[in-house]
Amino acid sequence: MDPSFRIVPGSAPKAASVAQTSNSLGLHDTLRYGPRTIATEVKTEGTLKDRLQNWEETQDNLKLTMMRNTHGLHAPMRILMERNIVGVNPHMSLLPQTNLQLDILMGRDESIEPVDVFAGPLNGPPLDIRHDMEKKHRI
Amino acid sequence: MDRIDMHRLKQGEVNLGTSIMAVQFDGGVVIGADSRTTTGSYIANRVTDKLTFLHDRIYCCRSGSAADTQAIADFGHYYLQMQAQVLGSAPSVLTAAAIMEKMCYQNKDQLSAGIIVAGWDEKAGPSVYNIPLGGGLFRQPWAIGGSGSTYVYGYCDATYQEGWGKDETVNFVKNTLALAMSRDGSSGGCIRMCVITKDGVERKFIPGDQLPRFWEGKEILGEATQKPPAAISAVSDVAPMAVEV
Repeated sequence: MDPSFRIVPGSAPKAASVAQTSNSLGLHDTLRYGPRTIATEVKTEGTLKDRLQNWEETQDNLKLTMMRNTHGLHAPMRILMERNIVGVNPHMSLLPQTNLQLDILMGRDESIEPVDVFAGPLNGPPLDIRHDMEKKHRI
Repeated sequence: MDRIDMHRLKQGEVNLGTSIMAVQFDGGVVIGADSRTTTGSYIANRVTDKLTFLHDRIYCCRSGSAADTQAIADFGHYYLQMQAQVLGSAPSVLTAAAIMEKMCYQNKDQLSAGIIVAGWDEKAGPSVYNIPLGGGLFRQPWAIGGSGSTYVYGYCDATYQEGWGKDETVNFVKNTLALAMSRDGSSGGCIRMCVITKDGVERKFIPGDQLPRFWEGKEILGEATQKPPAAISAVSDVAPMAVEV
């Protein structure tokens, strides 16, 4: 948790710049860092994508910061600890899983959202279980 | 085409180009605002209420982007409710102003919001805090804001006296806002005021046809600025509108 009053996600900085990879002559150092790609230096994705992806997290962070200011330094830590406790799931199933306790703590137990309707598996029953597991746990 | 330009979106936003002010007097504060909200040159709302409730004795006036200021005021209200519950008593005006300032400053790259927070609390009595565009916090005995305020700085400097009572302060706010509204294109409509004292909040409303009138150029425009002859007003009970050339 980052103690910040940001209401709306800020724009992320540019990915890379020549200054970071320059050698003593001021040019991009190909020997050390590989060929130069302009794609990493130019920000091609719009700000809208970052804004939408980080939206929920930013709102949650704002509420936690306000809680920190009113109730004390311990308050956001306790809330996050409770979420971690109920969020841990020993099952390694690839089937869609629901976590009612986490929904209650996050305050979405009494609402129906598009994710509840559309969150079925995209490709039907898993054909290659090992590959899917690797992707899920990012090995 | 897959990128959305947030800057263009911001330009088309509903704008509270406005005149707002707050003045402190002996027993409380008077806050006032005009009532016009514009989207470009279209007046989206001509009876807006720009005086927003933050807590029982703390109000704020909003200027700048309508969406931004509403979001900030909502969060300020939420925070003060939590604060009041934890403290067990009403929060101070400084607390309210400080939370609004924190939000304005930390979001300064994304927002355009100018806010005046004013109210009464037990410890400091009446107070007025001005939070202009960059997110600074300034306590002042009187504060004006919004696009219309630039036209009335001279009038306020020349007229304000310390030690006024409630009626003189209400008059000061009324005259200042009327002058700002008559010169600024993005301010107009009617005047809404709140008088906040220890005993409560009293709302005042001055409709557009009862605003104080100042120099209107009768010498130049002549007859056209006079009201139409009595014959018309005798026929119907609708107040005739002054016609401008």
